[in-house]
Amino acid sequence: MKSRVGSSEQASRREALGPFWAIARADLKGLFRSRITYGWLLAAVFIEVVTTLGSRSNGTTSSVVTSGLSDYIYVWSLVIIGLAASSVSSEVGELADSILSKSVTRFDYVLAKFASRVAYTLIGFSVLTALLVGLTLRLEADDYTVLGLASAILLIALTLVMLTTLGVGLSIVLPNSVTAIVTLLLLWYSMTIFFPVIGLGLLSPGSLVSNLPDIVKGAWNWGNWETVAGFVAISGASTALSSAYFYMKDI
Amino acid sequence: MGQRVIEMDNLTKIFGEKLIAVNNVNLAVEKGAIFGFLGPNGAGKTTTIRLLLGLIRPTAGEVRVFGERMTPESSSLRRRMGYLPTNPRFPSKMTPITYLDFVGKLFRLGREVRMERLSSLIRSVGLLGDSSREIAGFSTGMVTRLGLAAALMNDPELLIFDEPTSGLDPAGRKSTLDLIAELGKEKTIFVSSHILSDIDRICTDVGVISEGKGIFSGSIKDMKKRTRSHVVRLELEGDAGKFCESLRATKWVAGFETRGGFGVDITFDPVMPMADAIREVTNLVSAHGLDLISISSSTSSIEDAFMELLRDEESRGFLRAG
Repeated sequence: MKSRVGSSEQASRREALGPFWAIARADLKGLFRSRITYGWLLAAVFIEVVTTLGSRSNGTTSSVVTSGLSDYIYVWSLVIIGLAASSVSSEVGELADSILSKSVTRFDYVLAKFASRVAYTLIGFSVLTALLVGLTLRLEADDYTVLGLASAILLIALTLVMLTTLGVGLSIVLPNSVTAIVTLLLLWYSMTIFFPVIGLGLLSPGSLVSNLPDIVKGAWNWGNWETVAGFVAISGASTALSSAYFYMKDI
Repeated sequence: MGQRVIEMDNLTKIFGEKLIAVNNVNLAVEKGAIFGFLGPNGAGKTTTIRLLLGLIRPTAGEVRVFGERMTPESSSLRRRMGYLPTNPRFPSKMTPITYLDFVGKLFRLGREVRMERLSSLIRSVGLLGDSSREIAGFSTGMVTRLGLAAALMNDPELLIFDEPTSGLDPAGRKSTLDLIAELGKEKTIFVSSHILSDIDRICTDVGVISEGKGIFSGSIKDMKKRTRSHVVRLELEGDAGKFCESLRATKWVAGFETRGGFGVDITFDPVMPMADAIREVTNLVSAHGLDLISISSSTSSIEDAFMELLRDEESRGFLRAG
Protein backbone atom coordinates (compact mmCIF):
# COMPACT_ATOMS: atom_id res chain seq x y z
CA MET A 1 0.00 0.00 0.00
CA LYS A 2 2.75 2.34 1.10
CA SER A 3 4.74 1.68 -2.06
CA ARG A 4 1.65 2.29 -4.21
CA VAL A 5 1.14 5.70 -2.53
CA GLY A 6 4.84 6.41 -3.01
CA SER A 7 4.75 5.54 -6.71
CA SER A 8 1.62 7.63 -7.34
CA GLU A 9 3.31 10.55 -5.57
CA GLN A 10 6.34 10.03 -7.74
CA ALA A 11 4.17 9.91 -10.85
CA SER A 12 2.38 13.14 -9.97
CA ARG A 13 5.70 14.84 -9.21
CA ARG A 14 7.01 13.63 -12.56
CA GLU A 15 3.88 14.94 -14.24
CA ALA A 16 4.19 18.32 -12.52
CA LEU A 17 7.80 18.61 -13.66
CA GLY A 18 6.98 17.33 -17.17
CA PRO A 19 7.06 20.70 -19.00
CA PHE A 20 10.18 21.81 -17.09
CA TRP A 21 12.11 18.68 -18.09
CA ALA A 22 10.78 18.79 -21.64
CA ILE A 23 11.91 22.39 -22.19
CA ALA A 24 15.27 21.88 -20.46
CA ARG A 25 16.04 18.70 -22.44
CA ALA A 26 14.96 20.19 -25.77
CA ASP A 27 17.08 23.28 -25.12
CA LEU A 28 20.09 21.23 -24.10
CA LYS A 29 19.76 18.99 -27.16
CA GLY A 30 19.52 22.05 -29.40
CA LEU A 31 22.66 23.53 -27.82
CA PHE A 32 24.71 20.37 -28.21
CA ARG A 33 23.67 20.08 -31.85
CA SER A 34 24.76 23.63 -32.63
CA ARG A 35 27.86 24.52 -34.62
CA ILE A 36 29.00 26.85 -31.83
CA THR A 37 29.34 23.87 -29.50
CA TYR A 38 31.28 21.80 -32.02
CA GLY A 39 33.53 24.81 -32.71
CA TRP A 40 34.09 25.49 -29.02
CA LEU A 41 34.91 21.88 -28.13
CA LEU A 42 37.20 21.34 -31.09
CA ALA A 43 39.10 24.61 -30.57
CA ALA A 44 39.42 24.03 -26.82
CA VAL A 45 40.65 20.45 -27.23
CA PHE A 46 43.21 21.56 -29.82
CA ILE A 47 44.52 24.42 -27.65
CA GLU A 48 44.63 22.26 -24.51
CA VAL A 49 46.56 19.49 -26.21
CA VAL A 50 49.04 21.89 -27.84
CA THR A 51 49.57 23.93 -24.65
CA THR A 52 49.96 20.93 -22.38
CA LEU A 53 52.30 19.04 -24.67
CA GLY A 54 54.30 22.24 -25.18
CA SER A 55 54.71 22.58 -21.40
CA ARG A 56 55.98 19.05 -20.97
CA SER A 57 59.61 20.07 -20.52
CA ASN A 58 59.32 23.20 -18.41
CA GLY A 59 55.77 23.37 -16.98
CA THR A 60 54.53 22.40 -13.53
CA THR A 61 51.09 20.94 -12.84
CA SER A 62 49.88 24.09 -11.08
CA SER A 63 51.00 26.40 -13.87
CA VAL A 64 49.55 24.27 -16.68
CA VAL A 65 46.24 23.71 -14.86
CA THR A 66 46.02 27.43 -14.07
CA SER A 67 46.67 28.31 -17.68
CA GLY A 68 44.02 25.85 -18.89
CA LEU A 69 41.44 26.98 -16.34
CA SER A 70 42.10 30.67 -16.97
CA ASP A 71 41.12 30.12 -20.60
CA TYR A 72 37.54 29.66 -19.34
CA ILE A 73 37.61 33.07 -17.69
CA TYR A 74 39.24 35.01 -20.51
CA VAL A 75 38.42 33.13 -23.72
CA TRP A 76 35.72 30.46 -23.47
CA SER A 77 33.58 32.78 -21.37
CA LEU A 78 32.76 34.44 -24.72
CA VAL A 79 30.94 31.30 -25.85
CA ILE A 80 29.04 31.11 -22.56
CA ILE A 81 28.19 34.82 -22.72
CA GLY A 82 26.83 34.46 -26.27
CA LEU A 83 24.71 31.43 -25.51
CA ALA A 84 23.46 32.42 -22.05
CA ALA A 85 22.63 36.03 -22.89
CA SER A 86 20.54 35.02 -25.90
CA SER A 87 18.70 32.14 -24.24
CA VAL A 88 15.35 33.83 -23.58
CA SER A 89 15.49 37.07 -25.58
CA SER A 90 16.11 35.17 -28.84
CA GLU A 91 12.90 33.22 -28.32
CA VAL A 92 10.56 36.07 -27.38
CA GLY A 93 7.75 36.21 -29.93
CA GLU A 94 6.27 33.30 -31.83
CA LEU A 95 8.69 30.70 -30.48
CA ALA A 96 8.06 31.54 -26.83
CA ASP A 97 4.33 31.86 -27.59
CA SER A 98 4.25 28.41 -29.09
CA ILE A 99 5.68 27.01 -25.83
CA LEU A 100 3.92 29.23 -23.28
CA SER A 101 0.52 28.73 -24.95
CA LYS A 102 0.73 25.07 -23.87
CA SER A 103 0.25 23.71 -20.36
CA VAL A 104 3.34 25.56 -19.17
CA THR A 105 3.80 28.18 -16.46
CA ARG A 106 6.26 31.00 -16.79
CA PHE A 107 8.36 29.52 -14.00
CA ASP A 108 8.51 26.16 -15.82
CA TYR A 109 9.85 27.94 -18.88
CA VAL A 110 12.34 30.27 -17.27
CA LEU A 111 13.72 27.80 -14.72
CA ALA A 112 14.15 25.24 -17.49
CA LYS A 113 16.22 27.80 -19.39
CA PHE A 114 18.43 28.41 -16.34
CA ALA A 115 18.81 24.67 -15.78
CA SER A 116 19.66 23.81 -19.38
CA ARG A 117 22.18 26.63 -19.84
CA VAL A 118 23.91 25.86 -16.52
CA ALA A 119 23.96 22.15 -17.39
CA TYR A 120 25.41 22.98 -20.83
CA THR A 121 28.19 25.09 -19.30
CA LEU A 122 29.01 22.43 -16.72
CA ILE A 123 28.98 19.54 -19.19
CA GLY A 124 31.25 21.41 -21.61
CA PHE A 125 33.53 22.45 -18.75
CA SER A 126 33.65 18.93 -17.29
CA VAL A 127 34.55 17.29 -20.58
CA LEU A 128 37.33 19.76 -21.35
CA THR A 129 38.63 19.86 -17.77
CA ALA A 130 38.78 16.06 -17.63
CA LEU A 131 41.00 16.18 -20.71
CA LEU A 132 43.10 18.99 -19.23
CA VAL A 133 43.61 17.14 -15.96
CA GLY A 134 44.30 13.87 -17.76
CA LEU A 135 47.04 15.50 -19.83
CA THR A 136 48.44 17.55 -16.98
CA LEU A 137 48.82 14.68 -14.57
CA ARG A 138 51.32 13.12 -16.96
CA LEU A 139 53.72 16.02 -16.37
CA GLU A 140 56.80 15.24 -14.34
CA ALA A 141 56.80 18.35 -12.19
CA ASP A 142 53.71 17.67 -10.08
CA ASP A 143 53.25 20.35 -7.46
CA TYR A 144 49.54 19.79 -6.69
CA THR A 145 47.34 18.20 -4.04
CA VAL A 146 44.21 16.32 -5.08
CA LEU A 147 42.07 18.49 -2.83
CA GLY A 148 43.70 21.64 -4.16
CA LEU A 149 43.17 20.57 -7.77
CA ALA A 150 39.52 19.67 -7.09
CA SER A 151 38.97 22.99 -5.27
CA ALA A 152 40.41 24.97 -8.18
CA ILE A 153 38.21 23.14 -10.68
CA LEU A 154 35.08 23.61 -8.53
CA LEU A 155 35.83 27.31 -8.08
CA ILE A 156 36.08 27.86 -11.83
CA ALA A 157 32.92 25.79 -12.33
CA LEU A 158 31.13 28.03 -9.83
CA THR A 159 32.43 31.12 -11.61
CA LEU A 160 31.06 29.84 -14.91
CA VAL A 161 27.72 29.02 -13.29
CA MET A 162 27.60 32.62 -12.04
CA LEU A 163 28.38 33.89 -15.55
CA THR A 164 25.67 31.67 -17.03
CA THR A 165 22.99 32.75 -14.56
CA LEU A 166 23.93 36.39 -15.09
CA GLY A 167 23.61 35.82 -18.85
CA VAL A 168 20.22 34.10 -18.68
CA GLY A 169 19.06 36.76 -16.20
CA LEU A 170 20.05 39.57 -18.57
CA SER A 171 18.41 37.80 -21.52
CA ILE A 172 15.17 37.84 -19.53
CA VAL A 173 15.40 41.43 -18.40
CA LEU A 174 16.78 43.10 -21.53
CA PRO A 175 14.71 43.45 -24.70
CA ASN A 176 17.03 41.79 -27.21
CA SER A 177 19.98 39.44 -27.45
CA VAL A 178 22.52 41.99 -28.71
CA THR A 179 21.88 44.33 -25.77
CA ALA A 180 22.07 41.43 -23.32
CA ILE A 181 25.34 40.11 -24.80
CA VAL A 182 27.01 43.56 -24.84
CA THR A 183 25.86 44.26 -21.27
CA LEU A 184 27.17 40.93 -20.04
CA LEU A 185 30.48 41.42 -21.84
CA LEU A 186 30.92 44.80 -20.15
CA LEU A 187 29.89 43.39 -16.78
CA TRP A 188 32.12 40.32 -17.04
CA TYR A 189 35.26 42.15 -18.09
CA SER A 190 34.59 44.90 -15.53
CA MET A 191 34.38 42.24 -12.83
CA THR A 192 37.52 40.56 -14.12
CA ILE A 193 39.68 43.60 -14.67
CA PHE A 194 38.32 46.53 -12.64
CA PHE A 195 36.90 44.92 -9.47
CA PRO A 196 40.38 44.36 -7.97
CA VAL A 197 41.19 48.06 -8.61
CA ILE A 198 38.14 49.24 -6.64
CA GLY A 199 38.67 46.85 -3.73
CA LEU A 200 36.23 44.16 -4.83
CA GLY A 201 38.94 41.65 -5.69
CA LEU A 202 37.09 38.87 -3.87
CA LEU A 203 34.35 39.04 -6.48
CA SER A 204 36.73 39.24 -9.40
CA PRO A 205 37.29 36.21 -11.63
CA GLY A 206 40.65 37.84 -12.54
CA SER A 207 41.82 37.75 -8.91
CA LEU A 208 40.61 34.18 -8.66
CA VAL A 209 42.80 33.22 -11.62
CA SER A 210 45.84 34.80 -10.01
CA ASN A 211 45.19 32.76 -6.82
CA LEU A 212 44.75 29.50 -8.70
CA PRO A 213 48.40 28.25 -8.58
CA ASP A 214 48.32 28.43 -4.77
CA ILE A 215 44.90 26.76 -4.59
CA VAL A 216 46.08 23.90 -6.84
CA LYS A 217 49.07 23.44 -4.53
CA GLY A 218 46.66 23.06 -1.61
CA ALA A 219 46.71 26.55 -0.06
CA TRP A 220 43.13 27.54 0.77
CA ASN A 221 42.35 30.71 2.66
CA TRP A 222 39.34 32.49 4.16
CA GLY A 223 39.21 34.85 1.20
CA ASN A 224 38.38 31.90 -1.08
CA TRP A 225 35.31 31.12 1.03
CA GLU A 226 34.23 34.73 0.65
CA THR A 227 34.62 34.42 -3.10
CA VAL A 228 32.49 31.23 -3.08
CA ALA A 229 29.81 32.93 -0.98
CA GLY A 230 29.85 36.00 -3.24
CA PHE A 231 29.51 33.97 -6.44
CA VAL A 232 26.73 31.81 -4.98
CA ALA A 233 24.90 34.94 -3.84
CA ILE A 234 25.23 36.60 -7.26
CA SER A 235 23.99 33.43 -9.02
CA GLY A 236 21.04 33.07 -6.64
CA ALA A 237 20.09 36.73 -6.82
CA SER A 238 20.32 36.77 -10.62
CA THR A 239 18.11 33.67 -10.92
CA ALA A 240 15.53 34.84 -8.36
CA LEU A 241 15.23 38.45 -9.50
CA SER A 242 15.09 37.73 -13.22
CA SER A 243 12.57 34.90 -12.71
CA ALA A 244 10.37 37.24 -10.69
CA TYR A 245 10.70 39.85 -13.42
CA PHE A 246 9.77 37.30 -16.10
CA TYR A 247 6.72 36.31 -14.06
CA MET A 248 5.47 39.89 -14.05
CA LYS A 249 6.45 41.23 -17.46
CA ASP A 250 4.53 41.14 -20.74
CA ILE A 251 6.34 38.88 -23.16
CA MET B 1 -28.31 30.49 -23.49
CA GLY B 2 -25.60 27.84 -24.00
CA GLN B 3 -22.55 27.27 -21.86
CA ARG B 4 -19.99 30.02 -22.31
CA VAL B 5 -16.49 28.89 -23.10
CA ILE B 6 -14.94 32.35 -23.46
CA GLU B 7 -16.06 35.56 -21.76
CA MET B 8 -14.32 38.91 -22.06
CA ASP B 9 -15.48 41.62 -19.68
CA ASN B 10 -14.30 45.17 -20.31
CA LEU B 11 -11.04 43.72 -21.53
CA THR B 12 -8.40 46.41 -21.94
CA LYS B 13 -4.71 46.27 -22.76
CA ILE B 14 -2.51 49.34 -22.84
CA PHE B 15 1.15 48.93 -23.75
CA GLY B 16 3.56 51.24 -21.98
CA GLU B 17 0.89 53.86 -21.22
CA LYS B 18 1.08 54.77 -24.91
CA LEU B 19 -0.76 52.32 -27.10
CA ILE B 20 -4.31 51.19 -26.37
CA ALA B 21 -4.26 47.87 -28.19
CA VAL B 22 -7.53 46.52 -26.77
CA ASN B 23 -10.13 48.94 -25.50
CA ASN B 24 -12.94 47.73 -23.25
CA VAL B 25 -13.90 44.68 -25.30
CA ASN B 26 -16.87 42.57 -24.22
CA LEU B 27 -17.71 39.33 -25.94
CA ALA B 28 -18.81 35.81 -25.25
CA VAL B 29 -18.31 32.57 -27.17
CA GLU B 30 -20.65 29.69 -26.53
CA LYS B 31 -19.76 26.03 -26.51
CA GLY B 32 -19.78 24.49 -29.98
CA ALA B 33 -19.58 27.81 -31.84
CA ILE B 34 -17.14 28.61 -34.61
CA PHE B 35 -16.50 32.20 -33.67
CA GLY B 36 -14.90 34.47 -36.24
CA PHE B 37 -12.91 37.36 -34.85
CA LEU B 38 -12.79 39.97 -37.56
CA GLY B 39 -10.85 43.17 -37.84
CA PRO B 40 -8.53 45.08 -40.14
CA ASN B 41 -4.76 44.68 -39.72
CA GLY B 42 -3.59 46.27 -36.47
CA ALA B 43 -7.08 46.24 -34.96
CA GLY B 44 -5.98 44.33 -31.85
CA LYS B 45 -6.91 40.76 -32.82
CA THR B 46 -3.58 39.16 -31.93
CA THR B 47 -3.31 41.10 -28.66
CA THR B 48 -6.81 39.89 -27.72
CA ILE B 49 -5.78 36.32 -28.50
CA ARG B 50 -2.62 36.66 -26.42
CA LEU B 51 -4.77 37.91 -23.54
CA LEU B 52 -7.10 34.97 -24.09
CA LEU B 53 -4.17 32.56 -23.79
CA GLY B 54 -2.73 34.28 -20.72
CA LEU B 55 0.46 35.19 -22.56
CA ILE B 56 0.01 38.79 -21.42
CA ARG B 57 -1.96 40.33 -18.58
CA PRO B 58 -4.87 42.73 -19.12
CA THR B 59 -4.48 46.32 -17.97
CA ALA B 60 -8.15 46.27 -16.95
CA GLY B 61 -11.06 43.86 -17.19
CA GLU B 62 -10.68 40.11 -17.46
CA VAL B 63 -10.89 37.05 -19.69
CA ARG B 64 -12.58 33.91 -18.41
CA VAL B 65 -12.10 30.60 -20.15
CA PHE B 66 -14.25 27.63 -19.12
CA GLY B 67 -15.58 29.93 -16.37
CA GLU B 68 -12.14 30.57 -14.81
CA ARG B 69 -10.02 33.68 -14.97
CA MET B 70 -7.12 33.30 -17.40
CA THR B 71 -3.65 34.33 -16.17
CA PRO B 72 -0.09 33.46 -17.26
CA GLU B 73 -0.09 30.77 -14.57
CA SER B 74 -3.33 29.11 -15.77
CA SER B 75 -1.54 26.09 -17.21
CA SER B 76 -4.46 23.82 -16.32
CA LEU B 77 -6.79 25.93 -18.50
CA ARG B 78 -4.34 25.94 -21.38
CA ARG B 79 -4.27 22.16 -21.12
CA ARG B 80 -7.79 22.24 -22.56
CA MET B 81 -6.90 24.68 -25.35
CA GLY B 82 -5.10 24.44 -28.66
CA TYR B 83 -3.47 27.42 -30.37
CA LEU B 84 -2.18 28.07 -33.87
CA PRO B 85 -0.32 31.41 -34.13
CA THR B 86 -0.29 33.54 -37.32
CA ASN B 87 3.21 32.61 -38.41
CA PRO B 88 4.07 29.58 -36.33
CA ARG B 89 7.77 29.21 -35.54
CA PHE B 90 9.25 25.97 -34.33
CA PRO B 91 12.73 24.87 -33.27
CA SER B 92 14.33 24.46 -36.70
CA LYS B 93 16.46 21.43 -35.81
CA MET B 94 13.45 19.37 -34.71
CA THR B 95 11.44 17.08 -36.97
CA PRO B 96 7.61 16.83 -36.90
CA ILE B 97 7.94 13.69 -34.76
CA THR B 98 10.30 15.22 -32.20
CA TYR B 99 8.36 18.48 -32.12
CA LEU B 100 4.96 16.86 -31.56
CA ASP B 101 6.51 14.60 -28.93
CA PHE B 102 7.89 17.73 -27.24
CA VAL B 103 4.44 19.39 -27.40
CA GLY B 104 2.90 16.26 -25.90
CA LYS B 105 5.35 16.48 -23.01
CA LEU B 106 4.42 20.15 -22.49
CA PHE B 107 0.83 18.93 -22.09
CA ARG B 108 2.02 16.27 -19.63
CA LEU B 109 0.78 13.42 -21.84
CA GLY B 110 2.08 9.92 -21.19
CA ARG B 111 4.42 8.32 -23.73
CA GLU B 112 1.83 5.92 -25.10
CA VAL B 113 -0.77 8.66 -25.66
CA ARG B 114 1.87 10.91 -27.23
CA MET B 115 2.99 8.30 -29.72
CA GLU B 116 -0.55 7.37 -30.67
CA ARG B 117 -1.65 10.99 -31.17
CA LEU B 118 1.42 12.18 -33.00
CA SER B 119 1.33 9.34 -35.49
CA SER B 120 -2.37 9.87 -36.28
CA LEU B 121 -1.97 13.67 -36.48
CA ILE B 122 1.07 13.51 -38.76
CA ARG B 123 -0.99 11.33 -41.10
CA SER B 124 -4.06 13.60 -40.85
CA VAL B 125 -2.16 16.77 -41.79
CA GLY B 126 -0.33 15.04 -44.63
CA LEU B 127 3.21 15.22 -43.22
CA LEU B 128 3.87 11.50 -43.12
CA GLY B 129 6.48 11.68 -45.89
CA ASP B 130 8.29 14.51 -44.12
CA SER B 131 7.94 13.29 -40.56
CA SER B 132 11.67 12.72 -40.11
CA ARG B 133 12.84 15.84 -41.95
CA GLU B 134 14.12 18.90 -40.08
CA ILE B 135 11.50 21.68 -39.84
CA ALA B 136 14.10 24.18 -41.13
CA GLY B 137 13.36 23.19 -44.75
CA PHE B 138 9.56 23.32 -44.53
CA SER B 139 7.33 25.55 -46.70
CA THR B 140 4.75 27.92 -45.14
CA GLY B 141 1.98 25.43 -45.85
CA MET B 142 3.86 22.58 -44.18
CA VAL B 143 4.66 24.74 -41.15
CA THR B 144 0.96 25.66 -40.84
CA ARG B 145 -0.04 22.01 -41.06
CA LEU B 146 2.49 21.12 -38.38
CA GLY B 147 1.12 23.98 -36.27
CA LEU B 148 -2.37 22.56 -36.69
CA ALA B 149 -1.17 19.14 -35.58
CA ALA B 150 0.54 20.73 -32.55
CA ALA B 151 -2.66 22.61 -31.67
CA LEU B 152 -4.56 19.31 -31.69
CA MET B 153 -1.98 17.25 -29.81
CA ASN B 154 -3.80 17.58 -26.47
CA ASP B 155 -7.23 16.92 -28.03
CA PRO B 156 -8.44 20.36 -26.84
CA GLU B 157 -12.02 21.45 -26.22
CA LEU B 158 -11.26 24.98 -27.41
CA LEU B 159 -9.17 25.82 -30.46
CA ILE B 160 -7.75 29.26 -31.16
CA PHE B 161 -6.51 30.06 -34.64
CA ASP B 162 -4.84 33.39 -35.37
CA GLU B 163 -5.10 34.12 -39.10
CA PRO B 164 -4.76 30.44 -40.02
CA THR B 165 -4.84 30.99 -43.79
CA SER B 166 -2.20 33.72 -43.80
CA GLY B 167 0.47 33.06 -46.44
CA LEU B 168 -1.19 29.92 -47.82
CA ASP B 169 -1.84 29.21 -51.49
CA PRO B 170 -5.49 28.66 -52.57
CA ALA B 171 -5.28 24.88 -52.16
CA GLY B 172 -3.69 25.17 -48.71
CA ARG B 173 -6.26 27.77 -47.73
CA LYS B 174 -9.15 25.59 -48.80
CA SER B 175 -7.87 22.51 -46.98
CA THR B 176 -7.22 24.56 -43.81
CA LEU B 177 -10.74 26.02 -43.88
CA ASP B 178 -12.25 22.58 -44.54
CA LEU B 179 -10.33 21.19 -41.60
CA ILE B 180 -11.51 24.01 -39.30
CA ALA B 181 -15.11 23.44 -40.39
CA GLU B 182 -14.70 19.71 -39.70
CA LEU B 183 -13.16 20.36 -36.26
CA GLY B 184 -16.02 22.76 -35.53
CA LYS B 185 -18.41 19.81 -35.44
CA GLU B 186 -16.82 18.64 -32.18
CA LYS B 187 -14.99 21.61 -30.68
CA THR B 188 -15.43 25.28 -29.92
CA ILE B 189 -13.33 27.37 -32.28
CA PHE B 190 -12.15 30.97 -32.06
CA VAL B 191 -10.63 32.05 -35.34
CA SER B 192 -9.26 35.50 -36.12
CA SER B 193 -8.98 36.78 -39.65
CA HIS B 194 -9.16 39.84 -41.83
CA ILE B 195 -10.24 37.69 -44.78
CA LEU B 196 -14.00 38.13 -44.70
CA SER B 197 -14.85 35.33 -47.11
CA ASP B 198 -13.05 32.82 -44.85
CA ILE B 199 -15.12 33.89 -41.87
CA ASP B 200 -18.33 33.88 -43.92
CA ARG B 201 -17.59 30.36 -45.09
CA ILE B 202 -16.93 28.61 -41.80
CA CYS B 203 -18.18 30.67 -38.86
CA THR B 204 -21.50 30.60 -37.03
CA ASP B 205 -20.84 33.70 -34.93
CA VAL B 206 -18.70 36.73 -35.33
CA GLY B 207 -17.07 39.50 -33.32
CA VAL B 208 -15.70 42.62 -34.99
CA ILE B 209 -12.88 44.70 -33.58
CA SER B 210 -11.63 48.02 -34.92
CA GLU B 211 -8.84 50.12 -33.41
CA GLY B 212 -9.00 47.97 -30.29
CA LYS B 213 -12.74 48.43 -29.73
CA GLY B 214 -15.29 45.66 -30.06
CA ILE B 215 -17.91 47.02 -32.44
CA PHE B 216 -20.10 43.97 -32.98
CA SER B 217 -20.70 40.55 -31.50
CA GLY B 218 -23.43 38.17 -32.60
CA SER B 219 -24.38 35.70 -35.32
CA ILE B 220 -23.27 36.22 -38.92
CA LYS B 221 -26.96 36.46 -39.82
CA ASP B 222 -27.45 39.33 -37.35
CA MET B 223 -24.43 41.09 -38.73
CA LYS B 224 -25.74 40.91 -42.28
CA LYS B 225 -29.21 42.03 -41.18
CA ARG B 226 -27.74 45.23 -39.79
CA THR B 227 -26.81 46.29 -43.28
CA ARG B 228 -30.11 45.59 -45.01
CA SER B 229 -29.80 48.08 -47.85
CA HIS B 230 -32.90 47.20 -49.90
CA VAL B 231 -30.92 46.71 -53.04
CA VAL B 232 -31.41 43.99 -55.65
CA ARG B 233 -28.40 43.40 -57.88
CA LEU B 234 -29.08 42.06 -61.41
CA GLU B 235 -26.92 40.88 -64.24
CA LEU B 236 -28.81 40.87 -67.55
CA GLU B 237 -28.29 39.91 -71.14
CA GLY B 238 -30.04 41.94 -73.82
CA ASP B 239 -30.92 45.59 -74.34
CA ALA B 240 -31.63 46.95 -70.84
CA GLY B 241 -32.53 50.47 -72.03
CA LYS B 242 -36.30 49.98 -72.06
CA PHE B 243 -36.10 47.98 -68.84
CA CYS B 244 -34.42 50.98 -67.16
CA GLU B 245 -37.10 53.34 -68.49
CA SER B 246 -39.74 51.08 -66.94
CA LEU B 247 -37.87 51.13 -63.65
CA ARG B 248 -37.98 54.93 -63.65
CA ALA B 249 -41.77 54.80 -63.95
CA THR B 250 -42.24 52.13 -61.28
CA LYS B 251 -43.62 53.37 -57.96
CA TRP B 252 -41.74 51.03 -55.56
CA VAL B 253 -38.34 51.68 -57.15
CA ALA B 254 -36.53 54.36 -55.16
CA GLY B 255 -33.64 54.48 -57.61
CA PHE B 256 -31.31 52.39 -59.77
CA GLU B 257 -27.80 52.39 -61.05
CA THR B 258 -26.28 50.60 -64.04
CA ARG B 259 -22.93 48.80 -63.78
CA GLY B 260 -20.95 48.20 -66.95
CA GLY B 261 -23.06 47.06 -69.88
CA PHE B 262 -25.12 44.41 -68.13
CA GLY B 263 -25.45 45.13 -64.39
CA VAL B 264 -28.26 47.01 -62.69
CA ASP B 265 -28.58 47.73 -58.95
CA ILE B 266 -32.16 48.56 -58.01
CA THR B 267 -32.92 50.26 -54.68
CA PHE B 268 -36.51 49.60 -53.66
CA ASP B 269 -38.88 51.22 -51.19
CA PRO B 270 -37.99 50.04 -47.64
CA VAL B 271 -41.66 49.18 -46.90
CA MET B 272 -41.59 46.60 -49.70
CA PRO B 273 -40.62 43.11 -48.48
CA MET B 274 -37.52 41.67 -50.17
CA ALA B 275 -39.39 38.64 -51.55
CA ASP B 276 -42.01 40.86 -53.23
CA ALA B 277 -39.33 43.11 -54.66
CA ILE B 278 -37.50 40.13 -56.20
CA ARG B 279 -40.76 38.80 -57.68
CA GLU B 280 -41.64 42.17 -59.22
CA VAL B 281 -38.13 42.59 -60.64
CA THR B 282 -38.11 39.15 -62.27
CA ASN B 283 -41.57 39.83 -63.78
CA LEU B 284 -40.27 43.09 -65.21
CA VAL B 285 -37.19 41.35 -66.65
CA SER B 286 -39.40 38.72 -68.36
CA ALA B 287 -41.77 41.39 -69.66
CA HIS B 288 -38.85 43.08 -71.49
CA GLY B 289 -37.59 39.81 -72.97
CA LEU B 290 -34.23 39.96 -71.15
CA ASP B 291 -32.16 36.99 -69.98
CA LEU B 292 -31.46 37.03 -66.25
CA ILE B 293 -27.85 35.88 -65.68
CA SER B 294 -27.85 36.41 -61.92
CA ILE B 295 -29.78 38.09 -59.16
CA SER B 296 -28.60 38.79 -55.63
CA SER B 297 -29.43 40.84 -52.61
CA SER B 298 -26.47 42.95 -51.57
CA THR B 299 -27.42 42.32 -47.94
CA SER B 300 -25.92 38.85 -48.30
CA SER B 301 -22.37 40.15 -48.48
CA ILE B 302 -20.37 40.02 -45.26
CA GLU B 303 -17.97 42.51 -46.84
CA ASP B 304 -20.75 45.13 -47.02
CA ALA B 305 -21.78 44.40 -43.44
CA PHE B 306 -18.20 44.66 -42.23
CA MET B 307 -17.51 47.88 -44.10
CA GLU B 308 -20.71 49.43 -42.80
CA LEU B 309 -19.78 48.51 -39.22
CA LEU B 310 -16.39 50.16 -39.68
CA ARG B 311 -17.97 53.27 -41.24
CA ASP B 312 -20.50 53.48 -38.38
CA GLU B 313 -17.73 53.20 -35.81
CA GLU B 314 -15.64 55.83 -37.60
CA SER B 315 -18.51 58.33 -37.74
CA ARG B 316 -19.32 57.67 -34.08
CA GLY B 317 -15.66 58.33 -33.33
CA PHE B 318 -15.90 61.71 -35.07
CA LEU B 319 -19.06 62.53 -33.12
CA ARG B 320 -17.35 61.62 -29.85
CA ALA B 321 -14.35 63.76 -30.81
CA GLY B 322 -16.68 66.65 -31.71
